[in-house]
Amino acid sequence: MDVLADLVQNTLDGLTAGAAYALLAVGFTLIFGVLRRVNLSYGAAIMFGVYFATWTSQHFQIGLIALALLSIAGAVAGGAYVERLCFSPHYRARDNSRADASSGSIAAMVASFALWMQFEEAAILAMPRHLYSFPPLYEGAPLQLGSFLLRVESIYLLLAAIVVCASLHAVLYRTRFGLAVRAVIDVPVAAQLAGINVSSVFVRIFALASAIGGLAGFLIAASSEQVTPMLGMWSTVKGMLAMMLGGLGSLPGAVVGGLVLGLVEVHSQWFFGPQMRDLIAYLLVFALLVARPAWMTRWTNIRSAS
Amino acid sequence: MAALLEIKDVITAYGRIEALRGVSLQVEQGSITCLLGPNGAGKTTLMMTTAGILRPRSGSIRFMGSEIAGAAPHGIVERGIALVPENRLVFPRMTVLENLRAGAYQRNDRDGITSDIERLFARFPRLRERAGQEGGTLSGGEQQMLSVARALMSRPKLLLMDEPSLGLAPLVVEEIFGIIRELHRDGTTIFLVEQNAHMALRVAHHFYLIEQGRVTFSGDPGSLAEDEVIHRAYLGSAKA
Amino acid sequence: MDEYSIGVLTNIGLFSFLALSAYLLLMAGEMSFGQQAFFGIGAYAGGMLTAIFGLSLPVAALAAMLSGALAAFLVGLPTLRLRGLYFAMATLAAAEMTRILFELLHFQRTLNGDLVGPDGTQGFRGIRWVFENGVEPLEYLAMIYALLLVALVLFLLVERSRLGATLRSVGADPELAASLGVDVNRVKLGVAATAGALAALGGVLYAHHNTYIEPRNFDIMLGVHSLAYALIGGLGTAFGPLLGVVLDIGALEGSQVFGGARMIVFGGLVAVLLIVRPRGLLDEKTVHWIRTRWR
Repeated sequence: MDVLADLVQNTLDGLTAGAAYALLAVGFTLIFGVLRRVNLSYGAAIMFGVYFATWTSQHFQIGLIALALLSIAGAVAGGAYVERLCFSPHYRARDNSRADASSGSIAAMVASFALWMQFEEAAILAMPRHLYSFPPLYEGAPLQLGSFLLRVESIYLLLAAIVVCASLHAVLYRTRFGLAVRAVIDVPVAAQLAGINVSSVFVRIFALASAIGGLAGFLIAASSEQVTPMLGMWSTVKGMLAMMLGGLGSLPGAVVGGLVLGLVEVHSQWFFGPQMRDLIAYLLVFALLVARPAWMTRWTNIRSAS
Repeated sequence: MAALLEIKDVITAYGRIEALRGVSLQVEQGSITCLLGPNGAGKTTLMMTTAGILRPRSGSIRFMGSEIAGAAPHGIVERGIALVPENRLVFPRMTVLENLRAGAYQRNDRDGITSDIERLFARFPRLRERAGQEGGTLSGGEQQMLSVARALMSRPKLLLMDEPSLGLAPLVVEEIFGIIRELHRDGTTIFLVEQNAHMALRVAHHFYLIEQGRVTFSGDPGSLAEDEVIHRAYLGSAKA
Repeated sequence: MDEYSIGVLTNIGLFSFLALSAYLLLMAGEMSFGQQAFFGIGAYAGGMLTAIFGLSLPVAALAAMLSGALAAFLVGLPTLRLRGLYFAMATLAAAEMTRILFELLHFQRTLNGDLVGPDGTQGFRGIRWVFENGVEPLEYLAMIYALLLVALVLFLLVERSRLGATLRSVGADPELAASLGVDVNRVKLGVAATAGALAALGGVLYAHHNTYIEPRNFDIMLGVHSLAYALIGGLGTAFGPLLGVVLDIGALEGSQVFGGARMIVFGGLVAVLLIVRPRGLLDEKTVHWIRTRWR
């Protein structure tokens, strides 16, 4: 019975971590699914936003909501900077050739990596300590549900994930902007021919993805009550892994991938320890990529991933 | 009076390969103009260049007097040109209705859009039947109609059509060309690319022949060299 | 030459092997985030062979190259079908798994009263063959560059040969290459193994230069950096990745000028560079231009 109790507790914890990963993966997938580009500085812009909020909280008394908004605003600002410098210059192939288009996407990716480095250095220069405390999301004891412990932070995280996904779904399926986004995801050339300003869609999706990332970053920082400069790398890796697990480019997949990653991690760590936790997660991603089961290819909508 | 669309000395390249080597032609307002030519001659490249998907290296494209060469595709739709692309390119994962709404993306008049959709459904009853179905589940002919209908949603002054009969059964091809005649009657100017030279010459007022990136012949149907033209349109001539 | 400059030049040489490794894969059309794994395998294998088993450096280096090639082959085989970002992610996953295996590797022996060998996250110290055999830093530097020169010459020869053309054709359009009779899988595996060996060579030299290595040295950052070297320096020639290394390490050393803001300046420059030169500084056009001027 103890085993079952542990299993349930771990599952609860895994879903909580998974909710955070899901949010990160959704942001990543929005950019990858729509722009067909990998934004390596996604996590770094999130860290930038969270650091901005942290810095502000050290100098002013501000509430949680303000902190969340600052994180989001910082992440969106960071994202806009990245989008302008790394992605928008490469939207239109200069000489109509496919080779140029694919170099453009690799160049954008490498440029985004360079900006990741910039963000990290800027954060460390502004706030040199390895660790800063972040105001807590919830001050109080976890809820006791029978023999299980449920942290209230977990409820916030799961709620946030649900609200974000529901809102995203509403935007995608009930607004004109959402129609344009789905058209661009489906057949970019046809979207252009229908009169959709694809560059403008890209800019707005980037902002949306950054905002979601900023929210995720805030929730992660507030529930662990600390921030480190490693937040950028961590978010990027977890976001990409979760995106991979769920099948590149699919939004429902991103959510599933995030949750699965969270569950796999917690359970692996419980049985095998922290190193095996990461090893198993990577192994799972590798195996899925290599095997590429039919259901995964059906869910993804990538014409070519390069 | 200047033609609705004036293309002059357009050169379009893919990397180092020149697909259009100085194309010049005109599309008169209210006409059905046809571009014939063998595979690889540059017909689709010209359509894509006019629609703004491809950037010309040099040359001029004037629409209603304004220069549009190199403009972004959405700007070209804004000016009143819509392209029904080769291979239809419907949105396979969006419903027929959504495909149509996408075509109307730049419009703000809700009622106008709704009545246009009604009219298109009246013209293409099979699309009405499949309004809630995903584009990818439609047959080739239905997809062609959807692609045309989607282009019409932007109420274009000039409709570009790239090989509308490609891969379709003869009966369906007749239907499509019937629609082309109807559209013309209703006042839309049509610039049509076709491999099916016979069908095309039956509806066109004027046609051009393009070979290896250059316009090599310009005339009206019924002019003497028609058989020769059809021959070259299918097979290409020995000299460019 | 003072010790500091020797150190900088040595680093440039060492990481050039890694950059060339990533570049080789790029030529064949594959973007790898995981070459640092083979760098690490070369480091650990070579280090263990000299420090624990007393083999000489040349022998250990050869063995390290072989293990790098083998490991790359083992990763390359299941991932043959993968392209673009899928392939990149698979290499990332494989490299991280390798790094975690380094963290789990405990293999120590007592030699002359000291415990020698990899000790998980504590690292692997005592890789002292170079010092124990009286190789001066300058001599080591010369050796590294001699090997690098050999690698470069081979690259340049291949680039002009039919093999090079085959590689580039596989990189540009594998379906077309296959239809022209190229055994694309064989080419890709061959490239992967060679790139693995190259990275491993860099790794074993690196281990013996630093005398101490730890799993953290071979993380994702190193991998993305090695890819970036090739993409910034230019994809038109094997000198491209070298240029990328020089620029990055040169910027690191010249950071005195920018205080602690070296990455901020360098990162910004890289992003701007890539706008005007998406294929790097020494891209195909530039190389062509240089070649025609040379005549």
